[in-house]
Amino acid sequence: MIWQQLQSIAGSYPLALRGLGMTVVLSLISLVLGTLLGFGLGILRTGGNRLISGAIGAWVDLIRGTPFLVQIFLIFFILPELGIELDAFTAGIIALTNLAACFICEIVVAGIRSVPTGQVEAALASGLSRWQRMRQVVLPQAMRIVLPPLVGQYVLLIKDSSVVSAIGLTDLTRVGWLVVQRVPNGLLVFFLVGLGYFIVCYPLIMLARRLEQRMGAAHGEVQL
Amino acid sequence: MTKTGMIEFRGVNKWFGTLNVLRDITLSVEPREVVVVCGPSGSGKSTLIRCINGLETIRDGDLTVDGQRLGDPATNMTRLRTEIGFVFQSFNLYPHKTALENVTLAPIHVRKIPRAEAEEAGRELLAKVGLADKVNAYPAQLSGGQQQRVAIARCLGMRPKIMLFDEPTSALDPEMISEVLDVMVAVAEEGMTMMVVTHEMGFARKVAQRVVFMDAGAIVESGTPDEFFSNPKTDRSRAFLSKILRH
Repeated sequence: MIWQQLQSIAGSYPLALRGLGMTVVLSLISLVLGTLLGFGLGILRTGGNRLISGAIGAWVDLIRGTPFLVQIFLIFFILPELGIELDAFTAGIIALTNLAACFICEIVVAGIRSVPTGQVEAALASGLSRWQRMRQVVLPQAMRIVLPPLVGQYVLLIKDSSVVSAIGLTDLTRVGWLVVQRVPNGLLVFFLVGLGYFIVCYPLIMLARRLEQRMGAAHGEVQL
Repeated sequence: MTKTGMIEFRGVNKWFGTLNVLRDITLSVEPREVVVVCGPSGSGKSTLIRCINGLETIRDGDLTVDGQRLGDPATNMTRLRTEIGFVFQSFNLYPHKTALENVTLAPIHVRKIPRAEAEEAGRELLAKVGLADKVNAYPAQLSGGQQQRVAIARCLGMRPKIMLFDEPTSALDPEMISEVLDVMVAVAEEGMTMMVVTHEMGFARKVAQRVVFMDAGAIVESGTPDEFFSNPKTDRSRAFLSKILRH
């Protein structure tokens, strides 16, 4: 019986590939946009403007403190009520990008705050502008702190992308739901779905671990 | 109005919370003058020179640097800072950049000097402070004395009009102090306007025109090194000198 089921599942591999493709594309776009936005927010959050900093802090707390499923529903079902029409893909990208940006913002803020004030004072004293101080002095040093948790966060966000199946996007998780209606073996089907995610995430997990080791070693070593 | 000095404090006050860290400071430093600031720890000497390049802001009074009044909206603080070199007690070299990159960063990005030209000038400066062979070393590969000399070269790279030193040798092992002081003497002898917070009395005697003694946020005494060391006028300066000269 299991052979029949496996054959039946194998028959839907084009669908599975499409689902995997959707998961990868969705994750990739959101992670790139979310990283850019997250760095921007993190830099603004640590900037001198209290109003901007406070507003970003509040938004980040709000997003971190509510379930992602709820955020997706709000974007996909509530925004159209306000006259903003979104297809499921765009809604998914917006929700994931926003989530990624908020988590990455916190990571970037922690990195920036880890740079000793003496570094900023030295840059300030030699007349570097605000952006030059950030670009030349603060960010390169913050990256040592930022990189390992950043890659770890990517793994979490790829897995969170499975929630977009709730608004009808045919990603890997939704393919699982579709297949399981034809092949009544949830254990097998979702084992394979999980395997799909794992194949995408595992290289990143390895990368995060290597980065952590490299950064950890760099602290004790002579060369930075 | 009388002629103003390169650095001019008039009735400057500063508070940290309720602590009056600078009390009624009035002090004028002429171009090419070397002023040594000394005093017990917590007397406000670091705060005094940190105000000059705006690392600290003053509460009231007037502080004019190179003819520009600090806190005046017309004063471009970033531009003014390019004319003021600041040497920190803890060096504050950029750890992710080589000695040469530390020296050339501001000339390239702030002064907009072409990279090749800036690097040539940077190599010359590093040679001048005795580090020609350390051009490509990272700060963590250098001793404290070497790091501080790179930091001085980094300031000189901007061709500043003023150089401020905040206890430049206090974080150094004794055998490295003289190599840094030698560089500072050379800079002073080239006619740099300098304010130096230090307890290195040998340096003060050698190059300073004036020693300013601070206690509890106020300037208590000010005079030539000879006057100050051989004939301190106040009890507080006598007590201070007896402590630092005893050993």
